[in-house]
Amino acid sequence: MSNRSTPSQRVALITGASRGLGRVLAGFVAKQGYALILSSRGVTELRAAADELAPLAPVSAIPGDVTDEGHRRRLLEAAERWGRLDVLVNNASELGDSPLPPLNKASQQTFRRVLDVNTIAPLALVQEALPLLIRSHGLVVNISSDAAIGGYPGWGLYGASKAALDLVSKTLAAELREDGVSVVSVDPGDMRTKMHQDAYAGQDISDRPLPDVTLPFWAWLLSQDPMKVSGMRYQAQAPLWEVPP
Amino acid sequence: MKRAELTFERPENLFARDPPETRGQGRDDVRLLVTDSEGHRHANFEDLPQFLRAGDLLVVNESSAIPASLAAESRLGSILLNLSTRFRSDLWVAEPRWSSGKPGPLPFEPGEELRIGSATVRLVVPYPGIPRLWFALGDRSFDPLFEERGEPIHYGYTDAWPMETYQTLFSRVPGSAEMPSAARPITPRIREGLEGAGVRIAPILLHTGVSSLEIESETVEAQAMYPEPFRVSQETSDAVNRTHANGGRVIAVGTTVVRALESAWTPDGLHARNGFTRLFVHPDREIHSVDGLLTGFHDPVTSHLAMLTAFLGLDGVRSAYAEAVRHGYMWHEFGDSHLVLPSPATS
Repeated sequence: MSNRSTPSQRVALITGASRGLGRVLAGFVAKQGYALILSSRGVTELRAAADELAPLAPVSAIPGDVTDEGHRRRLLEAAERWGRLDVLVNNASELGDSPLPPLNKASQQTFRRVLDVNTIAPLALVQEALPLLIRSHGLVVNISSDAAIGGYPGWGLYGASKAALDLVSKTLAAELREDGVSVVSVDPGDMRTKMHQDAYAGQDISDRPLPDVTLPFWAWLLSQDPMKVSGMRYQAQAPLWEVPP
Repeated sequence: MKRAELTFERPENLFARDPPETRGQGRDDVRLLVTDSEGHRHANFEDLPQFLRAGDLLVVNESSAIPASLAAESRLGSILLNLSTRFRSDLWVAEPRWSSGKPGPLPFEPGEELRIGSATVRLVVPYPGIPRLWFALGDRSFDPLFEERGEPIHYGYTDAWPMETYQTLFSRVPGSAEMPSAARPITPRIREGLEGAGVRIAPILLHTGVSSLEIESETVEAQAMYPEPFRVSQETSDAVNRTHANGGRVIAVGTTVVRALESAWTPDGLHARNGFTRLFVHPDREIHSVDGLLTGFHDPVTSHLAMLTAFLGLDGVRSAYAEAVRHGYMWHEFGDSHLVLPSPATS
């Protein structure tokens, strides 16, 4: 599904866009006039998300796995057709096995898959999108987690992959500064999403807020001069969003 | 703390409806209730310097109010759109109201459009947890709309006065939806008195949104807070740290100053900071950066009143407000002042 964007229209690419945080964020930026490129493994869910957003914004919905180079190429071809990429949100994430095993029982194969999706694929997308990002003075948003710093039992694989992603973000921010490309890392905080439910299999997570609790943060972040916030790690539900001196 | 604990009775004749200068009085011609660990004292605002000491630091908000209330046409007819917090020139959090005296929430759908003159404003989505507020996206910057069509935000108990009524001696940077009103009675004469008493003054910047939030959640701490842009400079954070190091007291002039200073606080003292804060200073939160508060009298069940309990405890607030009602102190932005000093007021 694809329709026309105007040359002045900003373009956002969001992975993991068919549900949870990615879907809420896609809807919010669509309502603010962005054209959207949406990626997700769930074909049916992605189609439903695209149909819902189509009246609001030009949408290009491309099903696939972010670890697949061909899928990433199709995403960036869509951005090339629109001639720009203003915001790249690496949101697609792999939790690992559910329920979450402790590290001494964790599968090495699962760890490889978790690192592939959560750390290597986001970097690959940035590498491959770099010409577009440079041309658009784009902002890369890598979705992190408090598990990246928490050391929470059970969250070791996922947390390690997000900690690595945080360092990828910070390093990219330093390396790409002179190209005018900005990179931030965002911990959205606990939310009532499928991933959170998988992490707490069988438990009641209804006390967690829905992902739209993060909308004020996205409104704020996307209103900043990206270069001024590049290199920062934000917590979307924290009481303070700081612009460094 | 339960929401219901922040209720109190206060007769409507204690709403200050007009500024004292419209009655031929000075801005500083208001009363001052002083609450400290020894109880309450009744004074006039001009007595403020005698409750402070050489070496104390008053911190003021240098944000100035803008005419943020805009008449708009909508599917529901003519309404008011009170802009609250600027995210970008064309994106604000705003409160649609039926009128100045009649609040919402109004039954809009996400994506609905309003007309303000020739401009179109889209109500994007409601603010999560605060249904009366919306993200409002203009098809252009709101800045010229204010300049051409804006009125000061005001509520049912008072008229809209000329814009200068809403500025204080320290107003310098436009951006507040509502006047940071605690400094309103500080006239040049009062400032000279303070400086003469060895009290210094330092600024922060925090652009206030629409009125102190009425707490809607069952417990006070669960209330969603909207963010406000703020800045604490290196000079002011140094002044606060120096004041504390020298045994002086830091007195916030207004709840906005408490929010800004607490947002710049770290266990190593204050640091220069710039960003958005939605820090909620509530009863269970220890206050680190501020030793006292000069403020007005706040409505029941509001976030500002919750902040006051962080200084005085619930019993202290109840006692102070009972005293204020008994002695006819006046509420709201044109009313009387309240100096809160958890430690004894005078040396």
